[in-house]
Amino acid sequence: MSTSSPRSLADQLRGWPDERLARLLAARPDLATPAPHDSSQLAARVVVRASVLRALDRLDVLELAVLQALVQGTEPHDLPAGKRAVDDALVTVTDLALAWGTPPRPVTAVAELLRLPDGPAEPDLDALPPAARAVVDTLVAEGADGRWGGRAGPTADLVAAGLLVRTDAQHVTMPWSVRLAAWAGTPLDRAPELATSARDQAMVDRAAAGAAFELVRRTELLLDLWGSHPPTALKAGGLGVRDLRSAATLLHLEPDEAALVIETAAAAGLLGTGMTDDLDAAWLPTDGFDAWQSHGVAERWLTLARAWLDGSRLVSAVGGRVADKPVNALSPDLERAWLRDLRHDVVATVASLPPGEVLAAGTGTASVVQRLRWHRPRRPASRWDQVEPLLAQAAQLGLTALGGVASYARDLDDGDPAAGLAPLLPRPVDHVLVQADLTAVAPGPLEHEVARRLAMVADVESRGGATVYRFDAGSVRRAFDAGWATAEVHDFLTEVSRTPVPQALSYLVDDVARRFGTVRAGHAESFLRSDDETALAELVHSPAAASLRLRRIAPTVVVSDVPLGTLLPRLRELGVAPVVEAVDGTVRVARPDVFRSRTPRHRAPVGLRTTARTSAVVAAVRAGDHAATTRRARTQAAVGPTEVIALLRECAESSDDAARVVIGYVGDDGTVGERVVRPRRVEGGRLTAYDERSEVERSFAIHRITAATRTS
Amino acid sequence: MSDGPLIVQSDKTLLLEVDHEQARAARAAIAPFAELERSPEHIHTYRLTPLGLWNARAAGHDAEQVVDVLLTFSRYAVPHALLVDVAETMDRYGRLRLDKDPAHGLVLTATDRAVFEEVLRSKRVAGMLGERLGPESVAVHASERGNLKQALLKLGWPAEDHAGYVDGEAHPIELDETGWSLRPYQKEAAESFWHGGSGVVVLPCGAGKTLVGAAAMSEAGATTLILVTNTVSARQWKHELVKRTSLTEDEIGEYSGSRKEVRPVTIATYQVLTTRRKGVYPHLELLDARDWGLIVYDEVHLLPAPIFRMTADLQARRRIGLTATLVREDGREGDVFSLIGPKRYDAPWKDIEQQGYIAPADCVEVRVTLPEGERIAYATAEPEERYRLASCTHEKTRITERLVAQHRGEPTLVIGQYLEQLDELAEHLDAPVIQGKTTVKERERLFEAFRTGEIDLLVVSKVANFSVDLPEAAVAIQVSGSFGSRQEEAQRLGRLLRPKADGTTARFYTVVSRDTVDADFAQNRQRFLAEQGYAYRIVDAADL
Repeated sequence: MSTSSPRSLADQLRGWPDERLARLLAARPDLATPAPHDSSQLAARVVVRASVLRALDRLDVLELAVLQALVQGTEPHDLPAGKRAVDDALVTVTDLALAWGTPPRPVTAVAELLRLPDGPAEPDLDALPPAARAVVDTLVAEGADGRWGGRAGPTADLVAAGLLVRTDAQHVTMPWSVRLAAWAGTPLDRAPELATSARDQAMVDRAAAGAAFELVRRTELLLDLWGSHPPTALKAGGLGVRDLRSAATLLHLEPDEAALVIETAAAAGLLGTGMTDDLDAAWLPTDGFDAWQSHGVAERWLTLARAWLDGSRLVSAVGGRVADKPVNALSPDLERAWLRDLRHDVVATVASLPPGEVLAAGTGTASVVQRLRWHRPRRPASRWDQVEPLLAQAAQLGLTALGGVASYARDLDDGDPAAGLAPLLPRPVDHVLVQADLTAVAPGPLEHEVARRLAMVADVESRGGATVYRFDAGSVRRAFDAGWATAEVHDFLTEVSRTPVPQALSYLVDDVARRFGTVRAGHAESFLRSDDETALAELVHSPAAASLRLRRIAPTVVVSDVPLGTLLPRLRELGVAPVVEAVDGTVRVARPDVFRSRTPRHRAPVGLRTTARTSAVVAAVRAGDHAATTRRARTQAAVGPTEVIALLRECAESSDDAARVVIGYVGDDGTVGERVVRPRRVEGGRLTAYDERSEVERSFAIHRITAATRTS
Repeated sequence: MSDGPLIVQSDKTLLLEVDHEQARAARAAIAPFAELERSPEHIHTYRLTPLGLWNARAAGHDAEQVVDVLLTFSRYAVPHALLVDVAETMDRYGRLRLDKDPAHGLVLTATDRAVFEEVLRSKRVAGMLGERLGPESVAVHASERGNLKQALLKLGWPAEDHAGYVDGEAHPIELDETGWSLRPYQKEAAESFWHGGSGVVVLPCGAGKTLVGAAAMSEAGATTLILVTNTVSARQWKHELVKRTSLTEDEIGEYSGSRKEVRPVTIATYQVLTTRRKGVYPHLELLDARDWGLIVYDEVHLLPAPIFRMTADLQARRRIGLTATLVREDGREGDVFSLIGPKRYDAPWKDIEQQGYIAPADCVEVRVTLPEGERIAYATAEPEERYRLASCTHEKTRITERLVAQHRGEPTLVIGQYLEQLDELAEHLDAPVIQGKTTVKERERLFEAFRTGEIDLLVVSKVANFSVDLPEAAVAIQVSGSFGSRQEEAQRLGRLLRPKADGTTARFYTVVSRDTVDADFAQNRQRFLAEQGYAYRIVDAADL
């Protein structure tokens, strides 16, 4: 700090050593972009209201109180806090350039933002009734303004007494003197204690490492599957609910936990959208996944853990509903910029506990919220709701366990967490224990090659630190299908099993081998069969038949991949006279096809047709006439919709069956035509009436009727 | 990283490496809360289930202990989610409890208001609850005690039953330990039961469950109703009780199809209780015929559904269930838990075998090939006929003869399902046959002759599956069974497991037709036996 009092803020900044300036820019990064030209420009930016607001959000309760004291012109050291703490707080607010000069005074924007009414001198809070006192205590604890409803009650009493001041139509604030009085006796420099209990750090580490291992294993299992069976990417972005649920089943997790695995993989760049062969958008493992898989488990975990810590996606909202729409995993609208800071804060808070101490079950989470609230009093209260899910996520990720931070996860950025984690993880094994119930247990993660080969002859039954495989006829046959020989299967089992291979398993392998291939299947376009084996032998070996690709599969059966249509003429050329069998085994007799044309359609005699058509025309003409006549002799007409309905109702209900109405009706093509109808019923927005033109009862939509005229 | 014997899988199975030096300690530590699922030679599989965890809670263990055990013995880090789940599940037990209230009779109270409200609003408990007595207590209709517990278990909030029991009509019963004494585990089992109030004792076949029942009766010193699977078993219970306790023949009644005696100790069969005439159960009044102080359920895993309903009304009486396994083929383990009671004692089969109380067994599957003619008949048969065809091949008769000849002189049982096959076998082997038609008297005569060594070969149908005590049987040859039922397999094997005078290994042969459904079913049985840890071999008939 410069010794002589600076004349302006710019002056003070100019006088600061480089590292102090760097500290300011690091703490308020918005000042540095774009880089300011000089100290006066920097000083000008420092006091911009938006930037000041951001800086204020970073202050803790004490720093804010000290700054407030400066604004109100109270000596900061009179606050209920230790001198050192107040001095430190003064340095902080000066470092942030929220106050400057000697003695420090707040920059104008701060003064405007924080200024409170002074309030009555020496307010007596102890005399307040309990309800009013509770209001005061709540406002002090939350450090926020209260709401003003205008009704009588403790708040109104406080306003009347001058202990609260209305700031606008809906809010009240607590004047400075009242605030000071309320603080009296509660030290401001002490952050709320975390509720803790004792827990062996080694146990915390083991439990956390277990979660870490599971995270890596699950990520790998899921992405491996999605590599071959990718889930569809929704049009709006994100992963369908059904896919999330099946992932949860696969991973033995609840859907919200599975969502964390998926989101973390995506954050780590292991999962992204791409196209399948069918050109559908799908979620696919990225090429980064292949690189990731080549690392050790601990390094793989570190990638995931860092991705989560620096991520800013509201994973806890997945599965819930926002604005009455379900929230999908990987959906693009889950970004919340503030989450990154909160994640770091939450993990750092738990990490601040010494080894051997963990958050107490039950009360621990609430105390974390209290602590964070003390550190960042100006953050919106709604964000604290995320502390609990974030703690759960940290535990699922293996950063914490049993309420404490794993020792390897204390310093994710600079330390060597992978080296700390690796010894806690299961060591890869190269053998299994094969048992008489036809299971094989790998008592640790299997080496990749062994696992691949074992998965060929056995099915995975249970996963985790160990893997349980089960042999059955189907799985053994799968190995034979893949080209393994019986001896190969036996050798592999002997080699990979640390214990003698049980007799029942050897028997199973032999039993499957005995039956394997007893029935052969293959493709053929045509077959020849004959009881005359010699004739068939002759045919197969005839050089002229070479192009027919005949293959003898039994003494009396020859097959060919040439279609029958081609085969038959060639065989006849070769002097063979085959009889053709139909699909059902009956003999098909060959006969030249006989062609025929179709009989012309029978038409009705001309006379009859004319009669029918004429009568229709007449009816139409008559109806037309009628319409014309009525147009001339209108007795009753309606145009507006209400009138139309009234008229139609009247006609329908009149006892006169012949009451006829001419209606203007908008047809499907939009043109208005006139119809003469006899209304029957009006209901449900439709008119049922006898149409004289078509001579049937029809239904008309009333909204399409433009006008109606009654004739009689 | 510790090198413990236990691997905790995320699907809630626990793998225990048997040869590990800490295996014994780990087994003892996890036994109270994990169910043993498979115990083949190297790695035993346990499973964590809500019922298992609640059993542990009922026995006084808490989540902290369970988590500590898992973390202590686990070779690898334990999945955090699993620990959370264990804690949450265990926490659900005991939020609700049933108590006896001097003013209101039976009262359900909760320690958690939210849970209480959830339960009250549930449709399942509608009509079982009476007047609300306070924010967290409500009266319960006394008759609904059992139904309520069943319903609460289904809701996932099992209630602790502290409402106590009636003493019943006193009737002194003493164990008469002359010339024998209760084995340590039998004593422990009876004591655990008595302290727990009601519940189930799990002991392997042949471990002497009847004596645990007798010990429980002497603790109770009250009139007792014993429910058993069939008449032969009822007679055996009676025989045992007369021999091992102060009870005399006259004090023990049999209530079965043929006799209807109600005495201070009454042994009834499930069948007679569940007989229905015109929609009513005429023999149900037996349950109220006396003021029973104790009810014994033999083979509780076979308890028929109507008995569950009746048991729901008997919640004020002490109940002990005896079984070799809690696994029910119908999946009603939850009803056993809520109506009979939690598991009170469980002795690992291996331990009892090691102590020499049950004999080791060697299981051999003999595969026969159907002759060509039968193969064709099998291939073209209707699906429902196939199993019978495969089971009853003459080839099996031939092999059975050879096996019997091999074990000539050793007490041997030939067990089958199909009567014509049994008759044919009996004729070929020149041995007596026991089947459903055989009179109880004749059965008892033959069993007795077999026990005394007068005859050493018996052909039996499935009537001998349950509760027939043939301690001398050393060889069993199974020619057909009911579709590979695990239950049946355990029972049949159980016939062989009574310790032999000369300490020899029992032989259990199963004759199976190759490449038929018979072989498929045999696969089930093979898996079951191997999972139980029995040595299992497959041989071809030709290699015998």
